[in-house]
Order: sequence, then structure tokens, then C-alpha cells
Amino acid sequence: MDNLARAYLPRIAGLALASVSFLAVSAAEAKEITIWCWDPNFNVAIMKEAGARYTKTHPDVTFNVVDFAKTDVEQKLQTGLASGTAEALPDIVLIEDYGAQKYLQSFPGAFAPLSGTVDYSGFAPYKVEVMTIDGQVYGMPFDSGVTGLYYRKDYLEQAGFKPEDMQNLTWDRFIEIGQQVEEKTGKKMMGLDPNDAGLVRIIMQSAGQWYFDKEGKTNVTGNPALKAALETVGKIMSTNIYKPAAGWSDWVGTFTSGDVAAVVTGVWITGTVKAQPDQAGKWGVAPIPKLSIDGATHASNLGGSSWYVLESSAEKAEAIDFLNEIYGKDIDFYQKILQERGAVGSLLAARGGAAYEQADPFFGGEKVWQNFSDWLAKVPSVNYGIFTNEADTAVTAQLPALTQGTPVDDILKAIDAEVSAQIQ
Amino acid sequence: MTNGIGRAAGGLLTYGFLGLMAFLSVFPFFWMALGATNSSIDIIKGRVLPGAALATNVSTFFTQVNAPLVFWNSAKIAILSTVLTLAVSSLAGYGFEIFRSRHRERLYRAMLLTLMIPFAALMIPLFIMMGKAGLINTHIAVVLPTIGSAFVVFYFRQCTKAFPSELRDAAKVDGLKEWQIFLFIYVPVMRSTYAAAFIIVFMTAWNNYLWPLIVLQSNDTKTITLVISSLASAYYPDYGVVMVGTILATLPTLAVFFFMQRQFVQGMLGSVK
Repeated sequence: MDNLARAYLPRIAGLALASVSFLAVSAAEAKEITIWCWDPNFNVAIMKEAGARYTKTHPDVTFNVVDFAKTDVEQKLQTGLASGTAEALPDIVLIEDYGAQKYLQSFPGAFAPLSGTVDYSGFAPYKVEVMTIDGQVYGMPFDSGVTGLYYRKDYLEQAGFKPEDMQNLTWDRFIEIGQQVEEKTGKKMMGLDPNDAGLVRIIMQSAGQWYFDKEGKTNVTGNPALKAALETVGKIMSTNIYKPAAGWSDWVGTFTSGDVAAVVTGVWITGTVKAQPDQAGKWGVAPIPKLSIDGATHASNLGGSSWYVLESSAEKAEAIDFLNEIYGKDIDFYQKILQERGAVGSLLAARGGAAYEQADPFFGGEKVWQNFSDWLAKVPSVNYGIFTNEADTAVTAQLPALTQGTPVDDILKAIDAEVSAQIQ
Repeated sequence: MTNGIGRAAGGLLTYGFLGLMAFLSVFPFFWMALGATNSSIDIIKGRVLPGAALATNVSTFFTQVNAPLVFWNSAKIAILSTVLTLAVSSLAGYGFEIFRSRHRERLYRAMLLTLMIPFAALMIPLFIMMGKAGLINTHIAVVLPTIGSAFVVFYFRQCTKAFPSELRDAAKVDGLKEWQIFLFIYVPVMRSTYAAAFIIVFMTAWNNYLWPLIVLQSNDTKTITLVISSLASAYYPDYGVVMVGTILATLPTLAVFFFMQRQFVQGMLGSVK
């Protein structure tokens, strides 16, 4: 072995040197853009499609889409940025909107600003807000979690409600309807996971507020929208119009099994709702109910993510041009990802395409995508700040107290104390 | 009479408790096996009966995952890690026990202290080192940090205490050099210690997650644990496929354990007779 190695080592080394110089030459022409994202059936597949489209017009640029679990992408990004090892980072990375400000503010200069290049006026304003710091915009808005009220027409009809009755609801009216649905059909109105603050977030953002104000200061005790959201969730619990769910899968089970009459959540659930062919024609979609306070709207958001280009990237210029060409302009691309992956992008002009125009027989011929696109433009902009996840944990911890009838003001104080303790 | 009842009750209690514990440890495996035969929706609904989706799950797994490559990556890392760790750390454990020096105990204790440092704290410096060495996204970078294992050194030192010094003396009289004593006397005598350590190190290397995750960057270097993690974290994971993956990922460690079970038990009890 030793002798063998000794005999061949010079040759191997020579070969390696030769191939390195060969690679260096070819690298000047061919560029590979590395991208990290997390769902093989969703953003990974979509990014591969986007890459294929770009390579068609730019044959010298190829794409390497690497998928890790979402928490793994965050872990790797954090380590790569913290260690300052540039070659360990991708050229483009997907970041969830709730966490975007944390990365942008913790690692100033790590992400490339796209302000001059991308025309942000064409995107849903609230998506642009989450990636803006001091007037500079850093990302390419991707999928939206614009919310809707999905409801079972058949159950509601049995309870005496027509689709018109489901439009422009208030939350109080929604709860009244829920009580009547249970009385007449025996079905609960909605599934609710007592350990998930998603509904609180939806209701709060629909009135243009968040756990943090525009300056990033904690906005809990004096936040009328958060208060009203907690009161609403408390009322849903005390009137018992919900079916409790333990965890995400169980929650999904509440409506796929036909046990509940309505679902309030992000548009990305559409694929799951439609995965039950026996329920075709039985579903309708309406705007979510609204609070009865100042600034309340029927539009909100849950989840969603966006693409960011790393400043350290050797292919920075190509990466930015790629995002701008495909995600910033290609209407046809948005039709394809909507049809194949159920992805609602944030580019408002996409609504003019064929897929968005189509009426969906599953929803009784409603033009659901046009509706979602309308609501998308109306989602109030808020500042998700750096500590959304911490605040969320604090809210979740207080949800049981809500069921036990603790006054909402006390709960707000407890949340405020916990958030302040966590972020110091 | 009362004594008999007491004994019966005690037995019942013992077996009841053991049965419960056995159930708790076996049920996840049972659930995993059942899950592989059910569709994702049935798994979510909590179905505890075998289903008919095994073939679909298996074929989905093999179309979504480049299984030969991924298993080859995992096997390469696990076997390299295990062999190198055993070679280096057993030598160190042997050395610590056999050779006396002034600073031996101090050095040994300092080494044991490193067991207290969580890996997460070492991760970033280690990552910078690997970056400087140009080893990011290589399997060498995964294997290297595992080789000097304080735990395995400790384990071998403990077991070496039972290694009879007469054997060494006899070997010396027969004219063997130190490295020959280690290789031709020590290693064969400590077979079961090696077997036990092999299982432990192999399992750790095969299941290793955090460090490979950080240091491996592309689809073609990924190990099976990373692939399963990414399958399981999709927005709508196909749990049936995840179960197929976990079963396949469990098989190698199971096989290693069954092949070496006898030696493993001996190794745990103390190897030299």
C-alpha cells in the first residue's frame, strides 16, 4: 500500500493540479448557483422549476438546489454566518418571514440589498415590509400565507346559512353561527390546537398590529388587536364550538375527516383541503371574519417565506438577476407553481394569468385564486421584529389560562413579562 | 401462607413493571413497522393495524431518495469512524493504564473533563477549522472529530485494568516489542471489549446528526439521518415514507448488534477470564 501510494502520488498530484486549473478555467464561464430550502414537494420543487426556466435563457448558469429540514437550514445558516466561513454558505437561501428580521439585524451586511434592482411596488406590501431595514429591501418575496375562511357549504346549509351569509363576518357573528351549526348538525365549527398561537397571530395581524411596533418595541399590554384576538379565542373556547386538536397532524385531521364545518388559516392549506375528493363541491372560501376595533380588516397572513441572496456569494450578480427575472417578472412561472404545487406567490400581477383566472369545481366553481389575490394585496403590513418566536411561546403558555377565565388584561401582563424576560 | 401471597404479589408487581417497560421500549418499533404499511393519512388518524400501502411507500421512498448513494455515504462514514476511533482510542486507553508517568493522571482528568463540553459549543470553532482546512462538505470532516473519543479512551482504560500484567511480562520475556504486545497479545485478549466498543461507536457514528448536518453541504454527500430529517419536515410529510426510511436506517445498527451481541454482553461484564 505504502509503496503503491509512493509510486502513484506524484501522478495523482499532477492530475489533481491539472484538473484544478481546468476547473478554474471553466468556472469563469459556467456558473452554478447553490440554493438551500426545505420542502421537496414545495419550495425545492418550485426552485428547480425556476432554475430550469432561467437556464433555458442563460445556458451558462446552472442550479444546485439542496434540501435540508427547515430547522436544519436555519442551524446551518446560523453556523455559517457566525463562523464567517463564506465558502460554507449558499448563494441563495430561503428564510421564513417570521425569522427574517432576526437574520437581517443580527448579521448586518450578510445579505445583499436588492432595492435598486427589484421593483417592489409589484409585490404585496406586507411581504416587502418583513424584509426592509432602514429603507433598504433585502429579499425576493416568495410564498404567501394570505388567509381565508374555508367552510363546508353542506353543513352550513343544514344549519340554515347560505354562502352569502358567510361573507364579511365579524368574529362575534362567526361564533353565533358556530353555535347554531353545532345545535343543528352536531358538528363543531372549527379545529383548534390549544398549544398553537396561529389563530391569535392571524386575528392580530388582520387589524394591523403585531407583538412589536414599527420600531421593534414590545407591543403587548397596550395592543388592542392582541387583546381582541385573545378575547375572541377565549370566546371560541368558552362557547365550546371547537374540536380540540393535539398537534398539527391532528388539527389537519379535524377537517379532512369532515368533523368540523370551517377552517381559518393560510392559503397553503388549499392542497390539503382538496386532497379529499369525496368532499368536492362541498367547500366554499370567504374572507376571514373581522374584529370590531379600529383598523380591523378581513385580510391576514399565516406563515410564508422569502428568498435571500448572500452578500458573500461569488455568483451574487447572477443570483440577483435570476430572482428578478423569474420571481420578479415571469407571470407564467407563477401559473405553473400554483397549478402544480398550490403555491400562491406574492407578485400581484400573477393574478392576470390563466391559472389564477380559473374557476375551481372543488369549490363549486368559485374563482378562489382571484379572491385570494384580492386579499393578498390587502394584508396589513406589520413588523415581525426579531423575537416573534419568543413572543409566540409566551402567548402559547398563557392560552390555558384563557380557558380558565383569567381576565385578558392579566394575561396580557403575563405575556408582556415573559416576552421582556426572554428578550433581555 | 402470607409469605406465599407476598411473593406472588411481588412477582406480579415485578413482571407487571417489566412488562410495562418492555412495552414502552418495543412499541415505537412496532409503530414504525406498522406505519410503513399505512398511508400517511391513516398514520395521522392513529391506525394501529397493518395497512396495504407498504409497496407504495417503499417505491415512493426509492424514487424520492437516492438510496444507494445515501446509504453508501452513511456506511463509509460509520465504518471509517469506527475503525479509526477504535484504533486510536484503544491505544490511548491502553497507554494510559499501562505506562506510568508523572502527569498521567492530570492529563487523563483533563481529557475526561472534555466530556462535559457540549458539542454545540465546539461546533463553530470546529467549523472554522474545517473551513480553513478546506474540508467543508467532505466526509473526512465528519470522521476526523470523532476519532479521539474521550469516552472510548475511558472505556478502554477501565477494561485494561483487568488485563493481566503477567501476560505483558511473559510477552516481554519472549522478546516482543511494545507494539507487538499491543497488536498480538492485547488486541486478541480484549476481543469482547473491542466488540462492545465497536457497537457503541458504530451506532453513534451511524446516527450522528448535528455535525454532518453542519459540515455537509450538498445532496450527494448527505447521510441517511439528514435525508430522513428533511423528509419528515416537509409541510405535509408523508409519514409512511418516513417510516420506511427509519426502518432501513435502523437495520444496519440492528445487524451489527445481533452479530456482536454475545461479545457485547461479555465486554460489558468485563472481558478477561
